[in-house]
Amino acid sequence: MIRLIGVGSPFGADRLGWLAIDYLERCSLPGCELIKLDRPGSALLDYFRGETELVLIDAVRLDDTPGGVALFQPAELERLSCLTSSHGLGVAEAVSLAAQLGELPAGLHVIGIQAGADLSRPPLLDGSALETLVRRLL
Amino acid sequence: MSDNREIRIKVPVLTRVEGEGALELDLLNGAIENLKLRIFEPPRLFEKFVEGYERDQVIDMVARICGICPVAYQMSAVQAFERLSDFTPGRWVREMRRVMYCGEWLQSHALHIHLLAAPDFLGFESAIAMAADYPDAVRRGLRLQTLGNDLIALFGGRSVHPVGICVGGFYRAPELKAVEAILQRLRAALPEAEALVAWTSALDFPDDEQSFISVALSDPEEYAIDRGNLVSGQGLDTDIRYFESHFKEVQSPHSTAFHSELDGRPYLTGPLARLNLNFHQLPEPVRRAMDGCGIVFPSHNMFHSIVARALELYFALFEAVRLLEHYQAPQRSREEVTPVEGNAFGCTEAPRGILWHRYDVDDRGIVRYARIVPPTSQNQGRIEEDIRLSLEKMGLDREEEEIRLRAEQVIRNYDPCISCATHFLRLKISHR
Repeated sequence: MIRLIGVGSPFGADRLGWLAIDYLERCSLPGCELIKLDRPGSALLDYFRGETELVLIDAVRLDDTPGGVALFQPAELERLSCLTSSHGLGVAEAVSLAAQLGELPAGLHVIGIQAGADLSRPPLLDGSALETLVRRLL
Repeated sequence: MSDNREIRIKVPVLTRVEGEGALELDLLNGAIENLKLRIFEPPRLFEKFVEGYERDQVIDMVARICGICPVAYQMSAVQAFERLSDFTPGRWVREMRRVMYCGEWLQSHALHIHLLAAPDFLGFESAIAMAADYPDAVRRGLRLQTLGNDLIALFGGRSVHPVGICVGGFYRAPELKAVEAILQRLRAALPEAEALVAWTSALDFPDDEQSFISVALSDPEEYAIDRGNLVSGQGLDTDIRYFESHFKEVQSPHSTAFHSELDGRPYLTGPLARLNLNFHQLPEPVRRAMDGCGIVFPSHNMFHSIVARALELYFALFEAVRLLEHYQAPQRSREEVTPVEGNAFGCTEAPRGILWHRYDVDDRGIVRYARIVPPTSQNQGRIEEDIRLSLEKMGLDREEEEIRLRAEQVIRNYDPCISCATHFLRLKISHR
């Protein structure tokens, strides 16, 4: 069983993490647990505990095609700009905190979805690219 | 160091606070020339959103104002609607709401102590950096925060924006088995919470006594969380319905949050204010946790806020255990409460201080007007006053970095929730 977590909020392009999970729910992926979280902050670490394989999906700001997906390693998160956080603890900081405490799942993958320049609404998600990427990780 | 310096400190984005704020501080010839805590997060306009909705819808809507203290918003709202209908919840509902509120205090205080405030006292720029040298302390904070979140979810279905509270009670009562499971965890955490009080008390605190007014709820029967009169250290003691007679909100051009004053003066609300007024009502074992700590409440040193939060965290655990120990699921978790037309007032103690609500409701229970006064906007004037006094006491001839760090630490002592506070802006559209 592999856990996939879409992180987001109800606001504009930050919904991308949730839209990704909605899309994956329709893909009949075997052995997957799909979870949506609303700006979990440090509580993200609760979802790491006991997991060896885990995929985080979040909206990111990179100069690339809006709605496109890309796979990142946890160490690369520092250069990504995630959209929202709680008390300044976004996904990147929660992952850093888990790493510092030795609580990072060994097989942690991060899928970033390009938010594009207009953050007021989510761009069209490249669902087939997302599904291909996720199936590769399973 | 010469005093003939001109220093302009701008902290464009305050870190380790909820929401977006900034600090502007100009020093000229050894004196503070300009000091503004800027709150510029877009106004939330929630008071307009809720107009036209019925009571139970509003209770779920106001939970969305804040991801850290949604329970407080729900509790102030439900109290307002029930008081208007002259409905007093039964013992089970009252006690379980208090337990749920304890969950919010627990998670919010654990977060603030360990991840937001402690790095200031221990000399780290963030909790992540602190975790390298203090991993056990950070883990303790995360554990306690999770426990608080789980306690909220027990009643609310989820910890962020819970949905369990309704006029007349709860939509459903937790099952005994679930209560027993969390009760075991709450009991197990008590020694850790007690030790946390001593841990925070041993931090290095600046000597920074200041004169300020403490404001909190106070109830003759218990340490006030979800009911009580509005009281102050200067003798105010009034029903919450008279809030608007004593507390005035004023707009400030540099902030999208109101400044609030009590009889023309800034005041403090929050854990330290509560302990300053109600410490004697804590259960004896909780009060005893302060023995030998070297800090005495009432305290007028805002840096002691971290200790106040630790003591309230211990109390929240203690209280939740007490109230859940003999838990029995009720036959019904809610009563029907007939709507009444009129002005509804509610006020409870959010983790950061008093959260006052007013709703004007019609005879169908539809909200026609709302006014919400969150703790951070109440504290904003006090924060600015505190920064000024604290920096002057520390000495304005210090290095710029030291001045900036002290000012930021003073702000974080209040655990400001800027997202909650930005709600007031009036929209004015001119048509030509």
